Amino acid sequence: MERPMKKSNRYVSLVLLMWALVVVLVVFAADTVVVKIQTTQLRKSPQFFSQAVVALKAGDRLTRVSEENGWIQVKTAAGIVGWIHSSAVEIPKFNLLAMDKDMKTQTKASEVALAGKGFNKQVEESYRAKHGEVSFIWVDKMIAIKVLPVQIEDFLKKGKLGEFRGAK
Amino acid sequence: MRAARTYTLALVCLGLGLSLVGCSVVEQGVNVLNQTGQISDKDKDTLLKTGEALRSTFADIKEEEEYYIGRAVAALILSKYSVYNNDSLTQYVNIVGNSLALYSNRPEIYAGYHFLILDTEELNALAAPGGMIFITKGLLRRCKDEDTLALVLSHEIGHVCAKHGLQAIKKSRLLDVFKILGSEAAQRFAPAQLSQLTAIFENVLADIVGQLIERGYDRKYEYEADKLAVTFGAKTAYDPDGITRFLQTMVGDTSSAAGKGWFRTHPTPEQRIDKLKAEIAGLSSVPKLENVRTLRFKQYFSSLR
Repeated sequence: MERPMKKSNRYVSLVLLMWALVVVLVVFAADTVVVKIQTTQLRKSPQFFSQAVVALKAGDRLTRVSEENGWIQVKTAAGIVGWIHSSAVEIPKFNLLAMDKDMKTQTKASEVALAGKGFNKQVEESYRAKHGEVSFIWVDKMIAIKVLPVQIEDFLKKGKLGEFRGAK
Repeated sequence: MRAARTYTLALVCLGLGLSLVGCSVVEQGVNVLNQTGQISDKDKDTLLKTGEALRSTFADIKEEEEYYIGRAVAALILSKYSVYNNDSLTQYVNIVGNSLALYSNRPEIYAGYHFLILDTEELNALAAPGGMIFITKGLLRRCKDEDTLALVLSHEIGHVCAKHGLQAIKKSRLLDVFKILGSEAAQRFAPAQLSQLTAIFENVLADIVGQLIERGYDRKYEYEADKLAVTFGAKTAYDPDGITRFLQTMVGDTSSAAGKGWFRTHPTPEQRIDKLKAEIAGLSSVPKLENVRTLRFKQYFSSLR
């Protein structure tokens, strides 16, 4: 019969696990970035008006290839290479070794759920159930207002703004 | 005792390790260990809980959490003000705002930047966390060209980028939240947890709304937002003097509209103009007004009633 693990042994194993985690984080995650915004696009070149290569969503993992002026060149698990703005991803603060080549971009449902812990939809629903007097109708309408990249590009061009400044 | 000390030491070391990487990366590392069979599901949960417990400040609030806080703050702002329902003008304000956001230091935000006009003559602009920004009709009337409107919006985008709203949250509330999250790794909250979190959420909203509407930001945040407004505006090629032109309309204004909202809580217009002039003088090149922008501004603003 297997003896139950002693309390001190359990502490030791936890210590080892924690160290293993730190090592894995440093080694495996060093060149990985994780999408932290709801949705975005991987772009062909490092600018917002560049052609979209593939759609990305919160939790997607990407391998960092290079960086340029706030943009990160990344590779998806499917091997698609493109650019993403650094404000769209969570970036490890230092960089040691290359990322696991077999890493999957598709995030498991459990990981998404854990990433969504904290003040989330469930907490909002609970708040709304308690505060019927606070309406979210206009908040949803506000969030539904869309400005397409092509509209911004046209607006900037006509207004001689951004990269189109000084244009005739 | 010795084991407990070792455990504490390990936690400290883990804390240092985790502080070097972000939340998603922690989850990812834990999953890698779990998938390769190096740790059990139970250990995975323990490590995730520890990761949550190590969050401690406003800077540790995740993008998605900021979004949900922002939605509720926006709902509370909208319970105090009516919306000015003018689709074409609202769309124009959204295009100007989103154009500026692209040249800010936070162009990508969880659910994007969104702008609404509030139907009041009060002079006010408010930025909820997560990029939901409000500007009053009264304030719009003071803008005489697109560059002035852009710089006012840029000031609000500055508040969002610097997370000034989140900084209004009392630290004790955040510690309470992170403690609850650290106690459970389940995918959905149990009723007792949810009720605790909802109560803290209410207090978080009160902290932010109190700061935004009643007390106003600390002056240092207002000056920082002014500075960011000039930076983002100039990067977009808007005339940064738009903001000083707007503030000039406020000098010596003792009307009741000016006495409420933004200007009750902000430093005086003269103080801000002085600092802004110095900021603009420090730019390597200062973009100028373009007539083509003022013309389209006047076209859209002709529908402002």
